[in-house]
Amino acid sequence: MVPYAAGGPVDLSARLIAASLQQALAQPVVVENKPGAGGNIGADFVAKSAPDGYTLVMGAIATHAINPALYPKFPYDPVRDFRHIALLVQVPNVLVVSNDLPARSVADLIRLAKAEPGRLDFASGSTGSTGHLAGELFKQLTGTYMVHIPYKGSAPAVADLIAGRVQLMFDNLASALPQIQAGKARALAVTTAHRSSFLPELPTLEEAGVRPFDLTTWWGLMAPAGTPQPIVDRLAAEASKALLAPQLRERWRAMGSEPPTIKTPAEFTAFVEHERKLYAELVKRSGATVD
Amino acid sequence: MEQILHNLVIGFGVAVTPIHLFYALVGCLLGTLIGVLPGIGPVATIAMLLPITFNLSPVAALIMLAGIYYGAQYGGSTTAILVNIPGESSSVVTCLDGYQMARQGRAGPALAVAALGSFFAGCVATLIIAVAAPPLAEVALKFGPAEYFSLMVFGLIAATVLAHGSLIKAIAMVVWGLLFGLVGTDVNSGVLRFTFGVPELSDGIGFVIVAMGMFGTAEIVANIEMKEKREIFTSKVKNLWPTKDDFKNSWAAVLRGTALGSMLGILPGGGALLASFGAYSLEKKVSKHPEKFGKGAIEGVAGPESANNAGAQTSFIPMLTLGIPSNAVMALMIGALMIQGIAPGPQVMNEKPELFWGLIASMWVGNLMLVVLNLPLIGMWVKLLTVPYRYLYPSILVFMAIGVYSLSNNPFDVLIMGVFGVLGYICAKLECEPAPMILGFILGPLMEENLRRAMLLSRGDPTVFFTKPISAGFMIASIALLVVVALPAIRKKREEVFVEEG
Repeated sequence: MVPYAAGGPVDLSARLIAASLQQALAQPVVVENKPGAGGNIGADFVAKSAPDGYTLVMGAIATHAINPALYPKFPYDPVRDFRHIALLVQVPNVLVVSNDLPARSVADLIRLAKAEPGRLDFASGSTGSTGHLAGELFKQLTGTYMVHIPYKGSAPAVADLIAGRVQLMFDNLASALPQIQAGKARALAVTTAHRSSFLPELPTLEEAGVRPFDLTTWWGLMAPAGTPQPIVDRLAAEASKALLAPQLRERWRAMGSEPPTIKTPAEFTAFVEHERKLYAELVKRSGATVD
Repeated sequence: MEQILHNLVIGFGVAVTPIHLFYALVGCLLGTLIGVLPGIGPVATIAMLLPITFNLSPVAALIMLAGIYYGAQYGGSTTAILVNIPGESSSVVTCLDGYQMARQGRAGPALAVAALGSFFAGCVATLIIAVAAPPLAEVALKFGPAEYFSLMVFGLIAATVLAHGSLIKAIAMVVWGLLFGLVGTDVNSGVLRFTFGVPELSDGIGFVIVAMGMFGTAEIVANIEMKEKREIFTSKVKNLWPTKDDFKNSWAAVLRGTALGSMLGILPGGGALLASFGAYSLEKKVSKHPEKFGKGAIEGVAGPESANNAGAQTSFIPMLTLGIPSNAVMALMIGALMIQGIAPGPQVMNEKPELFWGLIASMWVGNLMLVVLNLPLIGMWVKLLTVPYRYLYPSILVFMAIGVYSLSNNPFDVLIMGVFGVLGYICAKLECEPAPMILGFILGPLMEENLRRAMLLSRGDPTVFFTKPISAGFMIASIALLVVVALPAIRKKREEVFVEEG
């Protein structure tokens, strides 16, 4: 089950991993999209499905860390209602600026923002997205003020960034990378604690003095709570084996994802818990809500 | 020029290899099929086929997926004309006159003109992509929130011509559409509006669902009511081919539709859709006998069909040259490229010329295939109308339900379609046209989004709509149009334009 519409990166990786699992488990693995309410409908559906290992969900940072803090009356508990099987994808966000902006480094950007508070705009794919929250965190840590311009998805936001109508964006690496490589936009930093192997020259925000800053977009396989341990272990083993296959690794790279640092289901659960706390704090401080 | 020729040679060299011809054919066939089936759109189909493309070369994968996309554009008009159900969102307008033509027994000419017009538009648009893709992409970038908003204001005003009945009713329907468009999550604040605590409504009501309900379900309900008229409709199927007069009436419409479609298709965000509405309005405006529109005017089929096909093709431009998808299908194409390990973006054209030009050449090949496929099929489609209604309509309803369900695998959507079916039936009884409502429904949320974004960017300064040249142009055109509509002196002429009968 993919809680998003077909065609996005979560859907793509689900279809790729489904093909691998199908081979490994010698039984058909069907990908079904159930989008709606920021992924909550699909995730909730799986949370309330039979815990027999036949229904899995691509749980993501939105459905399992940000949304619980964003939506009142949240229908499920991202930690207790799920067995977290395998983290599949971790994509850093990148701070990209329009070529028109005379900022070559994070320090330049902070200077510009401080010189004229409220002049700069930062775009994001939607209210409550990682791009939005990264921007809010950046504002807090640097004591600057910039106006958040939400879009419907990252693509139109990137278009306005290239055209120079918005000055900066904390876009995810996969969608920003082609533009950076083509010189249509300038990258200043990554939002993760470690540098990305795709842009090894690019400093992290923490290196640039904006700390603590460690945001990663992620998603992975999850099952309803109560799924028996052997099934979880089997799926986790097959998933991590699939991730090591060269074919999949190559395609993962095209999505801007590094091999995930979290390997076991237990680590994954701890990770989800940590992320949920982190974003609960961030969302509260940014004042963003959906009601 | 030489460069272009050279590029086209590369492109055709790639496109006419047997393997690529085969995948283009597969794509076109599939596309036509899903286009004909109401509700099952290219998005769902392409998503399902994505895993299959792992094992294809990137060029073959893209050629096949592109074939599905424009094949669906052809196929979508078939259901629109025959049974008044827009198979694809862009064929909503085709319903207006296409279906009326079918009712007069002229389904054959309508289908033929739609296919030929689409073919012509496809050829021209392909050529445009080959010659001018990179500069056009720059034009697309010039469109920011302010420009979009002004364009849509213009579109909405121009579209009141869509109605052929009372103007008041048309405006009421537009407003109604705008209101339905508001359902869902507000982009700026994330606040849920008019969702009544139903999570399924938080992403708004799907366009396809509304269109299928208002046109399709309502039509079926209305047809069950009229027992005798139905028989006449089927027995009157006459010639399959357009007459000389038909060609004479439609060639100019095809040209105008192609031009409009090519321009609007470049703009990300519903360009192709806007193009078909725009083309219809345009045809009605320039026509010498606007009273025929809505009653089976062949120009009303030729213009929008050419426009939507041209738009479908040129919408590849932002994707290919900027790596920015202009609609859901293009987003899927980008996904398909990413699966192949190609990061789509500005550099694709230079780094992978065989991919870029091969795709463009194959578009032309695909269009040719579609016309060859579709023309002989016309006879068969028209025969479909002679299937007794007690078989035809239940099966259509089933297909519609499947299609709507497949959008997001949610039974709630089928329910919503039913609700809109009832609404559509009531509207038909009250002689309120669904087309203006659909337009309001599409444009409303887009207008709001762009208006508020433009205002955010300008820090609340509304003059931005008049200080940006492109935006100002649209605004002035809108005002001019309003004056024309409102001036009492011209009022008499306007009545001729708007009022269908007496």
